[in-house]
Amino acid sequence: MRKSLIQLIVSIALAVGALTVAPIASADDVKMVGVVTKIKLATDGKSAQATLKDGKSGESVTINITDDETLDKFKDKRIQEGDEIRAKYDNAGNKSKSFKKTAGC
Amino acid sequence: MCTKNRKAPRRNEQTKHEGKIIMSHRNITRNLLASLIAGLFIPLGAQAADAELMKKIEAMAKEIESLRAQVQANQEANKQAIADVREVKEKVQKNEDKALDKWLTIGGDYQFRVDSLRGETKPFTDVQGTFQAAQYSAMTTGTPALSTLMTFSQNMSAVQTYQQARAFMGNATNQAIMGGLNNFAASVPAYKPENASLYTNRFGLDLNAKATQDVTVTARLLMYKTFGANDDSAITNGGATPFFSDRVGVFDGTLGHIPSSSYLNVDRVYATWSNIADQDIWFSVGRRPSTHGAPSNLRNNTPRPGTGGTPALLVDYAFDGMTIGWAPDIDALPGAYGKICYGRGYEAGFSKALTNSLEDTDMVGLSIVPIDTDALRVWAQYNRGMNIFDAPKMANTYFGTTMPKTNLGDIDWYGLGAMGTIKRVGPGELNWFADAGLSVTHPNENVSSQFGFQGLMTGAFFNPEAPSSKTGSAIYLGLRYDLPSKTKLGLEYNHGSKNWITFAPASGDSWTSKVGTRGNVYEVYAIQELDSKPISSRFAKSFFRLGFQYYDFKYTGSNNWVGAPVRMSDVNGQMMTMAPLSKAYNAYATFEVKF
Repeated sequence: MRKSLIQLIVSIALAVGALTVAPIASADDVKMVGVVTKIKLATDGKSAQATLKDGKSGESVTINITDDETLDKFKDKRIQEGDEIRAKYDNAGNKSKSFKKTAGC
Repeated sequence: MCTKNRKAPRRNEQTKHEGKIIMSHRNITRNLLASLIAGLFIPLGAQAADAELMKKIEAMAKEIESLRAQVQANQEANKQAIADVREVKEKVQKNEDKALDKWLTIGGDYQFRVDSLRGETKPFTDVQGTFQAAQYSAMTTGTPALSTLMTFSQNMSAVQTYQQARAFMGNATNQAIMGGLNNFAASVPAYKPENASLYTNRFGLDLNAKATQDVTVTARLLMYKTFGANDDSAITNGGATPFFSDRVGVFDGTLGHIPSSSYLNVDRVYATWSNIADQDIWFSVGRRPSTHGAPSNLRNNTPRPGTGGTPALLVDYAFDGMTIGWAPDIDALPGAYGKICYGRGYEAGFSKALTNSLEDTDMVGLSIVPIDTDALRVWAQYNRGMNIFDAPKMANTYFGTTMPKTNLGDIDWYGLGAMGTIKRVGPGELNWFADAGLSVTHPNENVSSQFGFQGLMTGAFFNPEAPSSKTGSAIYLGLRYDLPSKTKLGLEYNHGSKNWITFAPASGDSWTSKVGTRGNVYEVYAIQELDSKPISSRFAKSFFRLGFQYYDFKYTGSNNWVGAPVRMSDVNGQMMTMAPLSKAYNAYATFEVKF
């Protein structure tokens, strides 16, 4: 009985620990401003890869996009190559969290 | 037995074995001998093979050396080729960087429009016509005396405040003259103005230059003219009393937005510095994109204005001004931004200390858009117009050359609206919007002498009213259904209350800016885009638009902040500066090309 109780407590502690640690262990967000150099839309239209050239470092980053809002903008050319984008993505899988034109005017 | 028998075979096997050994030795001996004999002949053959082998080795060595030289040469050539390619790439990159399309975007639009206009007025007494008749009589008959009339006019223009206006009106001499003016009253009976066909051309040229990193300059040049005329008389009721104050003539806030001339005017030009402090903060200054804001983009079939522009219900005016904005990164509020705007509506020049000094007319605004996505965009807007002028500067109008003569006070505007797109509604998409506005006036003591002592939404011609704050309200609702066939069907409705006043003279409506109407306006339209591939730019498209507007005016003075509104049913011969239009109809068609 006592052993079971200890196992239960340990299990809960591990679960809580895992849940607590998970966000910390998850990928950090990266923010950048860059110009779109390439947009590759998946044939099914449900995802896309956009390559941005960082305005500061000059390095290219390919970001994976799956949100409908941005995909729609790719499809109807509201965002296309040459546009300056302010992007936020996780550094684990380069998954886009925010992808919008830089504000102005 | 068995043992004896076993020994006998062993002996035989041994004998056989020994025999074999002897035979083997003999064979070896023979082979050795044969080898020795053969060995006598070997040296000659081997020497010949060695020489040949050596030759081959030497030849191979030479070939290897040759190949090595070739490889080395190839490597050198490759290095050179790589260097050449790199140089070419650098040159191409330099050319690309310098290429026009890298930093300069050119676009624009053309619009052909035909309007068929019809309306219904109420009977009124035309102020301008009355004064002109009295003046004409004074000059031709001497009655009234020209000097009397001139003195009256001079004294009238000296009136600045409500109290002075009351004193002027109470003066016996002035009362006699005003009474005498009744003899020259230019009464205009109710009539039905009509222009069956009004054709116009509008051409816009858009430029955007990326000057340096994070700094751009944007410009829009605009020409808007009537077929067969190079002035604005077709929409200002040329030669007769205008119907609305925003269609008396063309002024700074409407230049390029009202058919007037073939001149290509600067409608917009502003410089924008963005990504300030590595944040989504921007500063922009110049002639602003403060016209045709959301949700008018739906019926204009243009893209959403993004972070630029102002809600069309409150402001549609070509302002010179500036903006500072910030779009914070909040996951729960995608697209959120806020901005503070400033615009100068009238520059008064040097101060005039001895008279009621005219102040600059300015407007400040605060815009908050907590969410801006395709599905939902919400906006909240506050504007304050300060030192509102009584008339803008305009040349060659029915009233001659007009200009501000006084500041009438301030106006506050509040707006709250939303628009969005619902996908997959039947075969198409449904766009919707709802906007509400509130206007609150804060009049000062001043009255407009050139408009018969009317104040900020107070008084009537020669009937001054004590200044008091007036609150007006408006709503603006609409739907547009987009079909896969690129057909777009729209329906809009707006209503303005008695004291509603907006700041939207630059809207494209031919009669008057419909969002400033004190009454109801209904509009239906259909857009059909041509199914043609864009060539010039991503936004290139061409389309036809057919529409119909019906205005039902409940009060006079739509889009005019000078004077108090009069219920349309009460209009019956009063002195008025504008012809009171009770109903208006406008059937229109356009062919528009965006490039």
